[in-house]
Amino acid sequence: MHGKVLVIDYEKCTGCRECELACSVYHTGASNPSRSRIKVIKWEWEGIYLPMTCQNCEKPFCVEVCPTKACHVDPGMNRVIIDPDKCIGCKTCILACPFGAPSFDEVERITVKCDYCDGDPQCVRFCEVGAIKYVDAALFNSDKQYAAAEKLINIKSGMINE
Amino acid sequence: MDWLGYIPDDLRPMILWGPILVAIGALFLVLKLGIKRRFLNTILNPMTSWLSRGFYILSACIVIGTITFLISILPYLGISISDWSPLLTVLDIVGFIFALATAIYTGILIQSVKYVTFWNTSFLPTLYTVSALSTGTITVMMSALAYNIVTASSGYPEQLMAALTLTEQILIIIEAIVLALYLFTRYRGEEYGTYSVRLLLSGNLKYIFWIGIIVSGFFFPVTLEGIYSRLHEQHFLLFLAGAFLLLGGFFIRYATVYAGIKEQHPMQQWVENQRSLNTLKPGTDVT
Repeated sequence: MHGKVLVIDYEKCTGCRECELACSVYHTGASNPSRSRIKVIKWEWEGIYLPMTCQNCEKPFCVEVCPTKACHVDPGMNRVIIDPDKCIGCKTCILACPFGAPSFDEVERITVKCDYCDGDPQCVRFCEVGAIKYVDAALFNSDKQYAAAEKLINIKSGMINE
Repeated sequence: MDWLGYIPDDLRPMILWGPILVAIGALFLVLKLGIKRRFLNTILNPMTSWLSRGFYILSACIVIGTITFLISILPYLGISISDWSPLLTVLDIVGFIFALATAIYTGILIQSVKYVTFWNTSFLPTLYTVSALSTGTITVMMSALAYNIVTASSGYPEQLMAALTLTEQILIIIEAIVLALYLFTRYRGEEYGTYSVRLLLSGNLKYIFWIGIIVSGFFFPVTLEGIYSRLHEQHFLLFLAGAFLLLGGFFIRYATVYAGIKEQHPMQQWVENQRSLNTLKPGTDVT
């Protein structure tokens, strides 16, 4: 894997759905979460919130099943994109995606999905708690490793101080 | 060619049903699209997309069916087609291949959805194909019978109707066996396949399954055709059996599509599992 990817930390997400609004406004000009490319799955009872978006699979099923080649891989940015001028709104990609990432835009009558906002993902910009990050694919786990190391250092230094 | 006193060319006008019904079906597929005017874009990816391949298959089926039908009515307009038999044979073979592909294609299209365990099996296209053959055969039988009644002739002799009735009953029994094998393998397979089968047999779709498919699609047609094969004069029995069988064919497709359950995202599955084990309580620290 190469390029940058969206990394989501569900432990930080508060379920505010600001990301959905930012995404919707950026792509459609409307403040309408149903037209957003990112969807927050909620388990209110458990207090778990999971922003879900396209995983940009290396071998995407949506690309395989698309009859019009509207859904294709953009190798330059390591992402799968849907060409709005070619999409016919057949919804086959929605059915094929294991993550349920593409969604049907009822206004434009085509299927839409996350395109990393051409390199400046708005969900990342507007996520106040930093639950969504846009990082290099090779380093996507480094934050967690740093946090774990920091935690260990704090514990050890606490023990030494005692 | 003469088979049981029946000359196949006489039945050719009945082929009109094929292209018309397939064209109506194709029209519904176009109407389902988000942007209908772009439907021709569908031709762009036949290498990997079954929807794209389907477009070619349906188009070929409609075009060849229409040509075959148009040629078949030429004799009624006083144009002899007696020298055209090689062309007609080729058209028949190619038409048959594409008609069969039309029957199989829908099942393969649905089967290609890898994350719905209930669909991702070759039993599904097999079931759709056998169902297409049985409903197709009864439609031809009803057309032939209607032709006999309307023209007050016996263009389609009793021996032929008896042979077709027997074929039809065998096809329905094969269809029932394929359905049983399909459900058995899905039930014994992965988790979501089991859920789908339960949904059909005892869940929300149980009335569709037991009444729509088993009673209307299998039991009534076989019984009515059995009675009809002994009481040839009671033509309404065949039409009744045909109506039930067509209804059953519709419900087979309806039920198999609606019983498909998509596998859950791993994270979603984890939370659901925790919930069912009752280990997640309000205020539980899930981190």
